[in-house]
Amino acid sequence: MRNIEKVVAPGTPHFVGDGFRVHNFIPGGQKDFQKRMDPFILMDYNSKYTFPPSKHSRGVGAHPHRGFETVTIAYKGAVAHHDSAGNEGVIGEGDVQWMTAGNGILHKEYHAEEFSRAGGEFQMVQLWVNLPARFKATPPGYQGIVSRDISRYRLENEDGEIEVIAGHYKGTEGKATTFTPVHLMNAKLRENASADFSFPAHYNTALLVVEGEIEVNNEIVVAPDHFLLFQNDGEEFVIRARKEAVVLVLSGEPFNEPIVQQGPFVMNSQEEINQAVVDFNMGRYGSFGK
Amino acid sequence: MVESFKDYLRSHALVSEEEFEVLRPLIQVRRYAPGEFALLAGDVCNHHFFVEKGLLRSYTIDPGGKEHIIQFAPENWFLGDRGSYYFREPSEMNIQAIEPTNVVMFDQLFVEKAMCTSAAYNIFNEQLLQNHIRQLQSRINQLLSASAEQRYLHFVDTYFNLTLRVPQWMIASYLGMTPESLSRVRRDLAIREQKIS
Repeated sequence: MRNIEKVVAPGTPHFVGDGFRVHNFIPGGQKDFQKRMDPFILMDYNSKYTFPPSKHSRGVGAHPHRGFETVTIAYKGAVAHHDSAGNEGVIGEGDVQWMTAGNGILHKEYHAEEFSRAGGEFQMVQLWVNLPARFKATPPGYQGIVSRDISRYRLENEDGEIEVIAGHYKGTEGKATTFTPVHLMNAKLRENASADFSFPAHYNTALLVVEGEIEVNNEIVVAPDHFLLFQNDGEEFVIRARKEAVVLVLSGEPFNEPIVQQGPFVMNSQEEINQAVVDFNMGRYGSFGK
Repeated sequence: MVESFKDYLRSHALVSEEEFEVLRPLIQVRRYAPGEFALLAGDVCNHHFFVEKGLLRSYTIDPGGKEHIIQFAPENWFLGDRGSYYFREPSEMNIQAIEPTNVVMFDQLFVEKAMCTSAAYNIFNEQLLQNHIRQLQSRINQLLSASAEQRYLHFVDTYFNLTLRVPQWMIASYLGMTPESLSRVRRDLAIREQKIS
């Protein structure tokens, strides 16, 4: 059995650009937490928030990334994405966008036009998955995974389903390709339903209660919008929904390399960060065409 | 607070630990929230600012209401209005924090005491002044004669990571060009410099 290390309540939210009102759980203001959560180096959670209608699409303008992957999971609302590798797309409820910044990319992300005009509830997670040194220079990539294509494992007795984004759950494989072993899934459980999970003990493993209220290992109740970190002392754990629930479960194999971050760049050394900045200044991550 | 100022004076002005302790009562520290002003145009600039953490900018506003950025001051930079400070005249400049910023503030009393306390500080102070004049000359020349791209490249050379910390319009304002021109410069660079992956 995998024991619980801690439960973290959502902290004071801050705005990323003007479109994302997020609680940061990783690193959560703790210097060593990126190391602890390796390979997950950032988790921003836009808890359910109602944006008023707007003619202007709120969001974040062009900015670079390098050395890792950004994963955006949309629960409510819709975001549009454009990048300098020529990818663009809109992800809506239930969709996932998996962007590999790799060797360097410019992108912008903002509320989809239609959503902006109408306004409404918005709820998203953005996760940054680190790339190990041998893959940091990989070419940029983009995987848009729409809800209907997400692999689903159906629980017995109509208890719900596990939407596997990456990795696998009881033989069901996620569509997203990853560079190192990562399991990422949404457990959608009806009231009182349970699901059990098993990941290698050394994989850093956590969950986020997106909807509802759950009980973990018959031991602790976790409220909505709370984050739970497991210890690395066992493999299995069980989630039971006290109320109909959506739970994001993440588990990844740490690769224990130095993590040096400066803003949007995550590399292995300060020299590499400096080079990333120089490359950005010189326009080496491309442009948005024309 | 004051640790990075102390380190800076130790490494650049060769001010010893003991000398710094003598000077310490003459400096003030302050924290500015983003958007907060350290100096407002029309006031006399009574202090020089040394940025320990964060980012300040100095700028003027023309009669049409347009802002013109004179200087940025990230970590380990000095900022102030020398003319106003020395001649006791109202400043034309605003100094404002862009990020949450910790500064060390010092005035003429500090400078005089430092020059009496540390011989090395005299040389440092002279160098600081001459270097500032050199920078200003170079900036005038850039604004008058350099191409937009040369100005941008000089900017990223001077300020390194500020492209990640300030909005595009502020960089354009500093460079004396429109945000559209700056976009064009960056796009042209991007086309030439794009990585072959």
